[in-house]
Amino acid sequence: MREEDEQQSLFKDLRVIAFILVLLGSVFFIQPWYVPGEGFTTDLNYGLDLEGGSWLQIKLQGAVTQLDADMNILSKKLIEDGIDESIDIKSIEEDQGTYSVTFTTEKLVTNDEIDILAIGQSNIRRSNNVSNVILYTSKSGMISSYLADRLTTEVIPEATTDGTEYEIRTAISQEDLSDLMAEVGGYIVEDIRGNPIYKEGVRTETRDMTKEILSDKINSIGLKDIPVKTVGDDYILIDFAGIDLATAKDIAEKPGKFEIRIATTENESVHAIYGDEIQSVGIAGYNDNDGQWFTPFTLTDSGAVALQEVAIETGATRNPLSHNLIMYLDDNEVYSAPLSPSAAANLDKSPIYSWQASTGGDEESKKKAEQLHIHLRAGALPVNVELIGSGHVDATLGKQFKTQSLIAGLLSLLAVAFVVYRRYGKPEILIPMVGTSISEVIMILGFAGAIGWQLDLPSIAGIIAAIGTGIDHLVIITDEVLYEGKLPPRKVYISRITKAFSIIFAAAATTIIAMSPLVLMGFGALKGFAITTIIGVLIGILIARPVYGKVIHEVLESSGNKNKE
Amino acid sequence: MEVGLTERLDSFVRSHNDKQLAAIPLALFLVALVILGIMFVSSGAPVKLGMEFEGGTMISAATSESAASLETKYSDYPIIDVREAGSRAIMQFGPMSNEQQGELVKEVTDTYSSVEIKQIGPVYGTALQKQALNAVIISFIGMAIVVFLIFKTFVPSFAVVISAFSDIIIAAAFMSIFGIELSLGTVAALLMIIGYSVDSDILLNTRVLKRRGTPQENISNAMHTGVTMTTTTLAALVVMYIVSTYSYLISSSFSQITLLSDISIVLIFGLVADLLNTWMLNTSILRWHVAKAGKRRRA
Repeated sequence: MREEDEQQSLFKDLRVIAFILVLLGSVFFIQPWYVPGEGFTTDLNYGLDLEGGSWLQIKLQGAVTQLDADMNILSKKLIEDGIDESIDIKSIEEDQGTYSVTFTTEKLVTNDEIDILAIGQSNIRRSNNVSNVILYTSKSGMISSYLADRLTTEVIPEATTDGTEYEIRTAISQEDLSDLMAEVGGYIVEDIRGNPIYKEGVRTETRDMTKEILSDKINSIGLKDIPVKTVGDDYILIDFAGIDLATAKDIAEKPGKFEIRIATTENESVHAIYGDEIQSVGIAGYNDNDGQWFTPFTLTDSGAVALQEVAIETGATRNPLSHNLIMYLDDNEVYSAPLSPSAAANLDKSPIYSWQASTGGDEESKKKAEQLHIHLRAGALPVNVELIGSGHVDATLGKQFKTQSLIAGLLSLLAVAFVVYRRYGKPEILIPMVGTSISEVIMILGFAGAIGWQLDLPSIAGIIAAIGTGIDHLVIITDEVLYEGKLPPRKVYISRITKAFSIIFAAAATTIIAMSPLVLMGFGALKGFAITTIIGVLIGILIARPVYGKVIHEVLESSGNKNKE
Repeated sequence: MEVGLTERLDSFVRSHNDKQLAAIPLALFLVALVILGIMFVSSGAPVKLGMEFEGGTMISAATSESAASLETKYSDYPIIDVREAGSRAIMQFGPMSNEQQGELVKEVTDTYSSVEIKQIGPVYGTALQKQALNAVIISFIGMAIVVFLIFKTFVPSFAVVISAFSDIIIAAAFMSIFGIELSLGTVAALLMIIGYSVDSDILLNTRVLKRRGTPQENISNAMHTGVTMTTTTLAALVVMYIVSTYSYLISSSFSQITLLSDISIVLIFGLVADLLNTWMLNTSILRWHVAKAGKRRRA
């Protein structure tokens, strides 16, 4: 009769109810099942080291910096290098960021020749065998152009609140950059404290774009669910489940196959050019004249000629509407539209080098234009990347690791049970203690299942670590309750258990604090370890161990009563 | 066995004065520092840095070929070391070009089964090194702050922090002696030592400072609980170490799990050091502190 009362009170306790609910929920999320032939299965996700597969870690090379240069030296150098003739700078005037550079040269220069330098618009007068040129340009354009040329990379300037910031999309050290700027009377700008404004790496947007191109590329060859993660600002991590390292490297490094074709009939088309004829791709923009989003790109000489020939052959120049220009990336259609009437008319007469692929006027079209930008690059990444880490685990080996860590876990638990039994010699203490530990493992796994966490070897080490501290805490509770070798009266018991929990909370707090740097820092591998340890400790102190305190009291009391009888 | 250990330790603590008691762990701590110092001077790092921090390529595969024959087979690559472990061989390579590495990976995955490969670039390795050092330092400071917040008095807090510090130093010295490399796994283990070591110290301090009764009685009681805690954890770790390191001797279908093996062995070192530091160093400081406070109260 008495026992029944106790059982009832135990199951009425809120913490016990919560414990049971969480435990059942965990089992639901783990979904253990036995499939004949396949063996024991669960709904848990495993990391690459237990499932088999490979991973690549990539560093994005680049620098973000603020620069200044002497416009006299810089314009002289850029223009002389560009037109291959010495010039005389007459004057440089600045008006709200726009510079008018006036210079003379003996060479007969044309507007096209200056345009191709891509540093600004020009006005040319020729008299007495001397060309008088006024070039309208900007300092940021000139600096970007200078660096892009010298480093054969892209340099993207961006106006910020405290000056123009340049993103250099290749690796360059602060010293090398300083030297390079010194050649044009320039330097790296310093902040108010006198530190040079220079940071290795790229802008967050560039990092995200690189990540997107990689995801896009991997998904376009039919590999689904390959997560491409950014780690910190400069690293990208790609997990290839079930794919070996050699294949993974091929996928990441090989550019896609880009092709432009022109439609002949409804379902047929002919080849015009491949992606290697695309010289450059510009940033997607909005055209105010026709109200359309577009992606600009330029073709090589041979590419422009080839495209013109095919367009004339197919009749696209005369009847553009029935001969769409179609773009394919890895044999998937990514763009299809007719030539504009003006483009068609021009193309009939001469090749076109600068193209604009329009996508439409709405918000959706803006996304399309940005997507097309990526496609036109054919999976080529916007920045130089360096493979800084990679790994590979065979599926068979992963399976071995899985079985073996399970065995290690079970045997460890047995070892703990053995020590506990020797110490207390009472099954009524041993069973709740080991039971609590097992329930903590189930709850950690359930949590992992619920949030889709990938269990890898470090996470398993984390679970074992959490269980290790868990047993320590259960020993503290037990000893505190059994201070004089027997169960104390109710009042004393409550003050004891409070004291035990104050020790446990303090110990848990230090463990969590000790682990938290690993969660916040960039380590890929140890994050799993730290997070599972912290989750395990939290589940333990908040859900499982209070119930143990309750259960151990009830169990000892009832066994004490039995002994009395 | 563990009961015997507690009793022996208890009588040892009772029969020695504070100075004698503190001398043993402090001497060990100094020896550990000297070992790390010698290592640092001779090799530039107090503990041998593993491949993850140095950069390089590690390949392990199932093979019956001997280490010597593998070494000649891959002599075109910058091979540094070959180790046999049961039915597997573990090869270490120095830094190489991306193309060369690609070739090696293809060759190995085509030839062998159960392959594991890990490659870390030297630059990334250095970055990891810095991060790891920061993680250990920040963890330690964080732990110290929490401990000071809990006890609010200097001497007991200091005793906990110095014990934890000594645990890490002694564990690191053991790593140096046994040639265990500093890897991501062993860094995790060093951080776990901070967590585990503080558990028993907090228990001891709370029992001695907040419970009625003579300090010696409270120390003995805390020791019964604390030693049980440490031995249960040690038992689990020893089993984990054996299974992850030597199970391939029993069945060729098993292989070494380096990560678990590294974590468990370093934790074992740390916990053994913790037994000494908690029950001799921390205990003697605390006993001295309580006695002094008691005298002051009486005076």
